[in-house]
Amino acid sequence: MKLAWLRSLETCHQDCVWACTWLPASDKSAGLLLTGSLDETVKLWNPDDLSLVRTNTGHCLGVVSVAAHPSGRIAASASMDSFIRVFDVESNNTIATLEAPPSEVWQMQFDPRGTTLAVAGGSSASVKLWDTAEWKLVSTLSIPRPEGSKPSDKGNNKKFVLSVAWSPSGRQLACGSMDGSISVFDVQRAKFLHHLDGHTMPVRSLAYSPLDPRVLVSGSDDECIHMYDAEGKTLLTSMSGHSSWVLSVDVSPDGAAIASGSSDRTVKLWDPKMRAAVQTMTNHTDQVWGVKFEAVGGGARGSLLASVSDDKSISLYNYS
Amino acid sequence: MACVYIPVQNSEEEVRVALDQLPRDATDILDILKAEQAPLDLWLIIAREYFKQGKIEQFRQILEEGSSPEIDEYYADVRYERIAILNALGAYYSYLGKIETKQREKEEHFILATQYYNKASRIDMHEPSTWIGKGQLLLAKGDVDQAFAAFKIVLDGDRDNIPALLGQACVEFNRGKYSNSLEMYKRVLQVYPGCPAAVRLGIGLCRYKLGQFERAKQAFERVLQLDPENVEALVALGIVDLQSNEGWSYLVDAVKFMYLFLLSCMLLVAASGIWGAMEKMRRAFDIYPYCATALNYLANHFFFTGQHFLVEQLTETALAASTHGSTRAHSYYNLARSYHSKGDYEKAGLYYMASVKEINKPQEFILPFYGLGQVQLKLGDFKSSLSNFEKVLEVYPENCETLKAVAHIYLQLNQTTKAHEALKKATRIDPRDPEAFLDLGELLISTDSGAALDAFKTARSLLKKANEEVSIELLNNIGVLHFEKGEFELALQTFKEALGDGIWLKLINTEPQSALVGGSYPDPIREALYQPMDSCLAPRKYKDMQLFHNLEKDGISVDFPWDKITTLSNLARLFEQLHKTETASLLYRLILFKFPEYVDAYLRLAAIAKSRNNVSLSIELIHDALQVDDKNPDALCMLGDLELKNDDWVKAKDTFRAAKDASNGKDSYATLCLGNWNYFAAVRSEKRAPKLEATHLEKAKELYTKVLVEHPANMYAANGAGVVLAEKGQFDIAKELFTQVQEAASGSVFVQMPDVWINLAHVHFAQGNFSLAIKMYQNCLRKFYYNTDNQILLYLARTHYEAEQWQDCKKTLLKAIHLAPSNYTLRFDTGVALQKFSASTLQKTKRTVDEVRATVAELKNAVRVFSQLSAASNLQFHGFDEKKIETHVGYCKHLLEAAKVHCDAAELEDQQNRHRLELARQAAIREEESRVAEEQKKVKLEKRKQEDELKKVMQQEQHLERIKEHWKSSGSKRKDRAQSGDEEGAHGERRRRKGSSKKRKRDKKTEAQMDDQDEYEDDNANTNYYEPENHQVHNNQVDDDNDDPQDLLAAAGLEDSDADNDPAAPSSNTGRRIRGWSESEDDEEPEKRQPSTSPPVRDNSVDMQLTDGE
Repeated sequence: MKLAWLRSLETCHQDCVWACTWLPASDKSAGLLLTGSLDETVKLWNPDDLSLVRTNTGHCLGVVSVAAHPSGRIAASASMDSFIRVFDVESNNTIATLEAPPSEVWQMQFDPRGTTLAVAGGSSASVKLWDTAEWKLVSTLSIPRPEGSKPSDKGNNKKFVLSVAWSPSGRQLACGSMDGSISVFDVQRAKFLHHLDGHTMPVRSLAYSPLDPRVLVSGSDDECIHMYDAEGKTLLTSMSGHSSWVLSVDVSPDGAAIASGSSDRTVKLWDPKMRAAVQTMTNHTDQVWGVKFEAVGGGARGSLLASVSDDKSISLYNYS
Repeated sequence: MACVYIPVQNSEEEVRVALDQLPRDATDILDILKAEQAPLDLWLIIAREYFKQGKIEQFRQILEEGSSPEIDEYYADVRYERIAILNALGAYYSYLGKIETKQREKEEHFILATQYYNKASRIDMHEPSTWIGKGQLLLAKGDVDQAFAAFKIVLDGDRDNIPALLGQACVEFNRGKYSNSLEMYKRVLQVYPGCPAAVRLGIGLCRYKLGQFERAKQAFERVLQLDPENVEALVALGIVDLQSNEGWSYLVDAVKFMYLFLLSCMLLVAASGIWGAMEKMRRAFDIYPYCATALNYLANHFFFTGQHFLVEQLTETALAASTHGSTRAHSYYNLARSYHSKGDYEKAGLYYMASVKEINKPQEFILPFYGLGQVQLKLGDFKSSLSNFEKVLEVYPENCETLKAVAHIYLQLNQTTKAHEALKKATRIDPRDPEAFLDLGELLISTDSGAALDAFKTARSLLKKANEEVSIELLNNIGVLHFEKGEFELALQTFKEALGDGIWLKLINTEPQSALVGGSYPDPIREALYQPMDSCLAPRKYKDMQLFHNLEKDGISVDFPWDKITTLSNLARLFEQLHKTETASLLYRLILFKFPEYVDAYLRLAAIAKSRNNVSLSIELIHDALQVDDKNPDALCMLGDLELKNDDWVKAKDTFRAAKDASNGKDSYATLCLGNWNYFAAVRSEKRAPKLEATHLEKAKELYTKVLVEHPANMYAANGAGVVLAEKGQFDIAKELFTQVQEAASGSVFVQMPDVWINLAHVHFAQGNFSLAIKMYQNCLRKFYYNTDNQILLYLARTHYEAEQWQDCKKTLLKAIHLAPSNYTLRFDTGVALQKFSASTLQKTKRTVDEVRATVAELKNAVRVFSQLSAASNLQFHGFDEKKIETHVGYCKHLLEAAKVHCDAAELEDQQNRHRLELARQAAIREEESRVAEEQKKVKLEKRKQEDELKKVMQQEQHLERIKEHWKSSGSKRKDRAQSGDEEGAHGERRRRKGSSKKRKRDKKTEAQMDDQDEYEDDNANTNYYEPENHQVHNNQVDDDNDDPQDLLAAAGLEDSDADNDPAAPSSNTGRRIRGWSESEDDEEPEKRQPSTSPPVRDNSVDMQLTDGE
């Protein structure tokens, strides 16, 4: 289990890079890396040499999230003005512009089959589900209010939803909130299942293990990475080691490792079996907002890990 | 009756002198001897008789007369007798020198003796008896080699010369050549079988030294047969029986002083002996009951065997028996030492004092000074003790023990430099004394941790070299010092070494999966540690003790000795620093499981919980701590801080008060907290009451000053004082203070004072030094917060705003929103910044079409931000006044419309420009027509795009209109009131809504009149830019024909409430800024300070990071 630094690109954006994701290879294009930045652009990169494929404009205020459709043909990007732009990867034609006022838009993720886009809905304390065929809002998964609180209470602000993740089966969905709680939903029945407690500060990133659909990994401002059994409602382990907020987590395609990016400027690779960090990359000089494994490992070359940071750079690593 | 006959000169008659009737006055005899010119041997005989009778004075008189120059002249040819007389005198003075204890007199005697012998040698340098005398003298002086040479001269002439043989035997014995010595004694015995018992004693001693104990014993027994009262033999027999190895060195001493001190030295030997063998020695003691020296040595023995009552009796007898100063000093010393060792310092002190009084010069006998110093030190009389130790140092300037004692006293007297010098010297003199290095290290800990670490490390390696156990305290100190220097790996190693093996090691090291895959045996510790836990219980895991119960149930001991608590807790603290928080909490809980009264561990756990934002658990843990010690000021302060965090102001104040009382006001931290409380109270009051504010500020200042008086180096108090000064507008002094604190705070890993950076930046800001302020904020963010603090980003944004760096301001605010998405104030501020940017661009007389386009885009964003907020306000996510947001929306739209005009105009102009250019170009380069055509096409394309954009804007506006319609229907009542111009009413409502949260509202009027200085500290938090007067200016420009901006606003449906309430000229920069920043103050503290208790040095590690407020 090892990360090997491959290449970095300085000032790939004009400002902080806040989001990244991998576009799977489609019949029309090879796999690409998608990044979103405070400079209001979304850029597509060729991972082989980090050459710029295209720059998408059209967002106002910073781009906070990007999502890739499993087909690799469609992608979505969201900015702080709460617009989601869905576009065709090849032509850059806008397919749809999504908005669900007054809900903000934070993280987004397509479900594994590509039929639904889940969007973390900020202060609405809910996750919005958009149908990808007609681009209609099909469902709103709301976090239930704590018992005894009145609807008028401002307390719901604490359930501000930041992050969202689909289980590999697409049946379950988890979302993380400002207060540190994680809520798990049954998507088909549109039903709230339970909370996963343990974090006490905002949960900014969630990722299911691709191999074990019960295992959910979370990163929080409390500097910890937790592994939960999302169905059994148990905290499997808590790993500490970052010296500041954990901004992003991802599980490797083989399910054996966890990568994390933190505001302490490092990327760490964790061995969940040993419950410890096995490697720390220090090539970034500012907060690391995104780490993402390429979903399909490329056989002998291992799989790629990308990290993006406030230092305006992208780094690529080989994971093996 | 023995007589001598002095022949009468020139006759046959003789004078008969009865030896037992010698006249008292030697002059009578001398007259006769001189008158009759008696042979010199008669002189000698008479002198000897005097000596035998103890009439030493007469003895000396006769001999001195007998060696006078006139005698020499008269008896010039009588050589032997003259020599004999001189030798007798020499021997006499040798003896005097030998027994004299005072150094000067001793030397004088020896010098006289030497003179006499030399004189004898001048008469006949071959006379053996002179050489023997000289040998004896040299032996007495301790000059063994020269003594050997002297005796050898005699023995070369006559190998059977008994005195020479005896002398040589003694020399050989002293040289440690016991077999040679034995040969000599044997020869004496052969030559003179009837020799005195002493010879046999020598044989016995030699044999004893050679390890032939049986033969030695025989020899001693033979001595006793000849002379049953021979003390030496008695003692020696005792020693042989003792078979005591330790006696050997004493024995050597004993032989050195054989002539007189033999007895006493033997007794000294006995000091290390066994009771049974003491019988014979006591007989020896019986024989000389008044030999004070012997008594002293015997007492010495009993001192070491611990029979103090005997010591006292013996020394008292000795005191009664002797008037000799030095002996009495010894006796008193013995007595004092006895009491000293019994712990009776008062009496010991008295006797040491008595002993010291008997001593003329400290050089003679220094021990009582040392003892007296020790006792006085014990009794706390540092000054006297110091003077005594200094006397010891005068004699032995390099005595390490004394140096250490002196250093200790200096330390007690707070003369650290002197203490340091003394210890330095001690370590230099004996670089192998771990204790000195230990002391040095302890001394340096507070002043120079680097040097302290070096000293401790030296001590450790010395102890290790000597195979001595290195104490856990020492290792702990080394670990903490490494920790302080930021050498965490070394600290970790040291702490682990200090702790050794135990349950903690297993807890730290047990890995979730055994290294032996497959063959993993069940490990209860691993199971206990890595059991999945129900996520509901997870937030409470810092209180979980079940783990240890389970382990105990599994038969695993979780015990550890109490002396490891400190180190264990330091280790846990280290893990915290290394961000291995889980391990740290495990160790703290382990401590609490076994020692639930260890308050610090509760506090650390509470601090961990607090840093994780788990306030309720943190409070619970502190209550646990308070149950152990309800007056623990640290716990109380922390509790107060948490109560502040929960917005429980009154409670917090009581808690801080309790903390202050609990420590009798001595705990500067509690005082500081109270000072902070007062400061916050001064700046938070809902309706600003200047009087109350001044009182609180004054009180805060008083408290800070109090701390500073007690601890001039307290940075937190200095910081607080700086804040109060800045609050009062004394920026330069405040800046000075902050700068000093900032410098002082850099260095230790335990002192983290970002607040002082922020304050410094605030001062720069208040003085209009924006670029410096920006730099300071940015550095602070990066250095202390990993750029994660949205509050400082807000300060930064505001500075950019004031510096009119709109893009930077916007970016900074967006970053802040990204970090704190649920903070709506930031969104509002973003909207204001966008609006302000647009307004200022449109105000410019010269602007490019791009600029106008950007303005339009930003305006649209602003509209969107405000409308989102407005929508959210329906859902009551935040406490903004709906009407105000609407005002902004309306205004932005108004601007947008105006911008459209501008945009069109700009575009037209642009187009015309292009057209003109194009024409010119066409005229100039007609030949390149094809290229020009292309260009035209491009221009057209662009135009179309612009039109598209404008269309989109219109669409969005319509969209917004719809939303607005929606609001109108839902909140018409409120709106009505707002529109009536009752600004205060609207505010009142807002206030009510926000009543529960701690927000500071100010009366507008007061605010507007407040001056710049005051505002800076308080209002940095507030970033709502609402600047109607600027709008007015702008409107003037937009609508040139309209001279009355107020009318315009009214026409636009906007109420310029501030203008109504504010009679002051709006153009005043001060007024503008205040109003701009004062509207809403959500959740921000104006100042943040972080007083913390002293960082963990050695003992415990309560390093609470108590952030104030919030």
